[in-house]
Amino acid sequence: MSEHKSTKSIESRPPKACGWMAEFTNEHDLLDAARKVRDAGYTKTDAFTPFPVHGIDHALGIKPTILPFIVLCAGLTGLCTALVMQFWMNGVDYKYIISGKPFGITPASIPVSFELTILFSAFTSVFGMLALNGLPKFSNPIFTNPKFDRATNDRFFLYVDSTDKYYNRDSVRELLSSVHPTSLDEVMEDNSSVHMPKAIWLGALLLVLAGLIPAAIVLNMRASDSDLPRWHVFFDMDFQPKKKPQQSTTIFADGRAMRPAVPGTISRGQLEEQDPFYLGHDPLKMSLADYRKAVFVSATDQDPADATKPAEEAKPAAQDAAAAPAASAPVNPPAVVGDGGTAPKYAWVDKLPIEVTEEHMQIGKTKYETYCSSCHGYSGFGDGLVAKRAASLLQDTWTPPTSLHADRVQKQPVGQIFHTISKGQGKMASYASSLSAKERWAVVLYVKALQRSRNANIEDVPVEQRSSLTPSVSGASESTGATVK
Amino acid sequence: MSLKYDPKSIQLPERWKSLTPILVALGVILVAVGFAFSLFAGGGAENSSEATMKFFAHSYLANFMFVMSIALGALFFILVQFVARAGWSTSVRRIAELLMQTIPFLAVVFAPIIIMLFANMDSLYEWNRPDRVHSSVIKAKIDVGYLTKEWFTLRAILYFTLWSAMGWWFFKRSREQDESGDIGPSLARQKWAGPCIMIFALSVSFAAFDWVMSIDADWFSTIFGVYIFAAGMMAFFATMILISMSLQRAGKVRELITTEHFHDMGKFMFGFIMFWSYIAFSQLLLYWYGNIPEETNWYLVRLNDGWQYLAYGLIPLHFAIPFLGTISRHVRRHRAGLAFWAVWVLVVHWLDMTFLVMPNAGPFNFMPMVGHFVGGLGMLMVFLAFFLAKASVTPLVPMRDPRLPEALTYANPLL
Repeated sequence: MSEHKSTKSIESRPPKACGWMAEFTNEHDLLDAARKVRDAGYTKTDAFTPFPVHGIDHALGIKPTILPFIVLCAGLTGLCTALVMQFWMNGVDYKYIISGKPFGITPASIPVSFELTILFSAFTSVFGMLALNGLPKFSNPIFTNPKFDRATNDRFFLYVDSTDKYYNRDSVRELLSSVHPTSLDEVMEDNSSVHMPKAIWLGALLLVLAGLIPAAIVLNMRASDSDLPRWHVFFDMDFQPKKKPQQSTTIFADGRAMRPAVPGTISRGQLEEQDPFYLGHDPLKMSLADYRKAVFVSATDQDPADATKPAEEAKPAAQDAAAAPAASAPVNPPAVVGDGGTAPKYAWVDKLPIEVTEEHMQIGKTKYETYCSSCHGYSGFGDGLVAKRAASLLQDTWTPPTSLHADRVQKQPVGQIFHTISKGQGKMASYASSLSAKERWAVVLYVKALQRSRNANIEDVPVEQRSSLTPSVSGASESTGATVK
Repeated sequence: MSLKYDPKSIQLPERWKSLTPILVALGVILVAVGFAFSLFAGGGAENSSEATMKFFAHSYLANFMFVMSIALGALFFILVQFVARAGWSTSVRRIAELLMQTIPFLAVVFAPIIIMLFANMDSLYEWNRPDRVHSSVIKAKIDVGYLTKEWFTLRAILYFTLWSAMGWWFFKRSREQDESGDIGPSLARQKWAGPCIMIFALSVSFAAFDWVMSIDADWFSTIFGVYIFAAGMMAFFATMILISMSLQRAGKVRELITTEHFHDMGKFMFGFIMFWSYIAFSQLLLYWYGNIPEETNWYLVRLNDGWQYLAYGLIPLHFAIPFLGTISRHVRRHRAGLAFWAVWVLVVHWLDMTFLVMPNAGPFNFMPMVGHFVGGLGMLMVFLAFFLAKASVTPLVPMRDPRLPEALTYANPLL
């Protein structure tokens, strides 16, 4: 399209000369000739070679490009853009706690800054290179000479343009013939029509119209109903020779596609569903007390005490479950549970299934300080760094972590604490994937030790060490706490 | 193809040949002076003999790593030239080969650290006295038998043997070619450089774990070997630039090492400044984000007790300033400009090694650090003495390497 404005109707007159083109058979001759032309003062020159020739830019006298500086500026712009963007987004406009990290510019901002620096620089290099070279350029007068076709194969060309300020038709011809080119031709202007042939216009129009067809089909289908069944593109993926749950089969005598477990076996991975060590409560004991409710509990994985309450009360109910008497809990018993008033609670494990040893205490301490202390605090008062930070930011959606020294937590059986760690509670997530069952029990042991440390009395101290504590009785519980920790 | 040249122009200047014993003596004296200085000024915060010994042991290791990493950079440079079948580097390759040949000598410099282990001292490596170790993590590493003096020594011998053997073999082929001018040694080196790089990567990584990372054996970083490698490569290019320039000032190898070679070495130095920053930051980011106590202790030590000025200082000194300083090709093609940045890079490399090692010896204390610096100068002199000893009897350019003409006509694109 751009050819339109620069060209008048020129078919009528003979083509104008644009410059001289010298042909060479190897790059050494080309370099020699280029140096000569450069030394003669010509600057509007160009060389065309089948492969990159080292030193040609120097031989032609091409000045170093300004592109690196443009790219540097673009890179710095990208860097600043990234920093401002992240500062604004994460520090001002939409503050959001992520891993308890500070807002605004942090080390985590560096990768994005790096990426944007590179992105801006790379785009500027490519498009800046194109712009500085005046590309894309669809035609060049030199193309009119059929000899030039060999520039992509085995010939080297040197071109001097007539717009050069020292250009003189005869002196350039003389200069170029003095370097003994294989051939020397005057490049004539391309005076063919600048109008695109009608066939191309027509073809383009047809392509655009054809491109509309899929869109038209989609629109039609979106707007109309059809009685035809769905069109299966991948038939064998939509209809696979396999059975889905609850389907029937002719292979087995009982006609069931789902096979029941072989009596006396436990499927892989199912063992933990039975064992109090992995649950914190004993389902067998619970089912002995009330089989139907135990089935309900194991199917829904819900505390029976919670299940009897409306959903919106579920959270406080869960927190109060241990402390509140069972009879007061149910308000609106669902039909499945029946008489919710006597619904059995989990049969909590009330004795630690691991031994109380120094080793277990150390495991519990390490895991507690790694996973729990960020919210519950090192001493268990619910004053961890995350909690403190959330409180200082006055996030009203934030539920403060429970103090492990609260009365109701103190009264919880060990199995219930284990269950809370395993399944999570309220905003607290499950830690079953981070901690093995044994480690969770070790954490329970450590939590119990923490609780004990706040309620210790002089009888807890070994007799031989009591004398060291007697001067300050009020300080005794503090120092005992320290030793347990 | 043989080139006409003056044999004297590719030999070490006469005056330099006699420098080796002087430099060794001076270097040893300076290390001793550094030790005496830290003894006099007190090692760490408390002025006990144990603290002083601890300070000196750490200082010795930091200064040793300062020169060791340069020698390893030279070895890698040689290997990678043959993996890439590079032509441009032929005229500077011998300087790198000579730097690489210092590795067997550096084993001697490393020996005191081994001796210290067998003297049952834990000044440097806490794990050497299991009875005084409290951390269960370190205990576990001792119990599996990894951090024990015997196995540590065996590994150190293995590393030095592998590096020296590779260096010896590549140097031998290079010297063979000096006689024959045959392409055979080049092809042999191209064939074996690949496997050697794999051995190099593994051994350098483990050496970095053993020698530097295990001074804080609680902590671990899988990228640590790459960190040491990146820092060493950067310092190696600075060293090669400075040696090439000094030789030219003394009237040697003038036509053989051109602006194009300095430009290329400058590019590599610039690249490894960036690569060091990339690795150092990658290591920091993961520990900062994870924020797990046992992983952040290494940074905790380095961001307290006065070391924070060094830690934060490395960001501009080791990255931002030299990065912007060497980003321009005009600087890299300018002798004085390039020399300035090469010296800068060597200084910050020393600071970087100090940053890696010294904080584990105790809080920052200015006066003993002067002793540490003097020791570093001494170590550098000993290193240069090793280089000169080998360089006195070797031509400085592989004149009969078939790729030398390629190196001499090589030109960077004008851009």
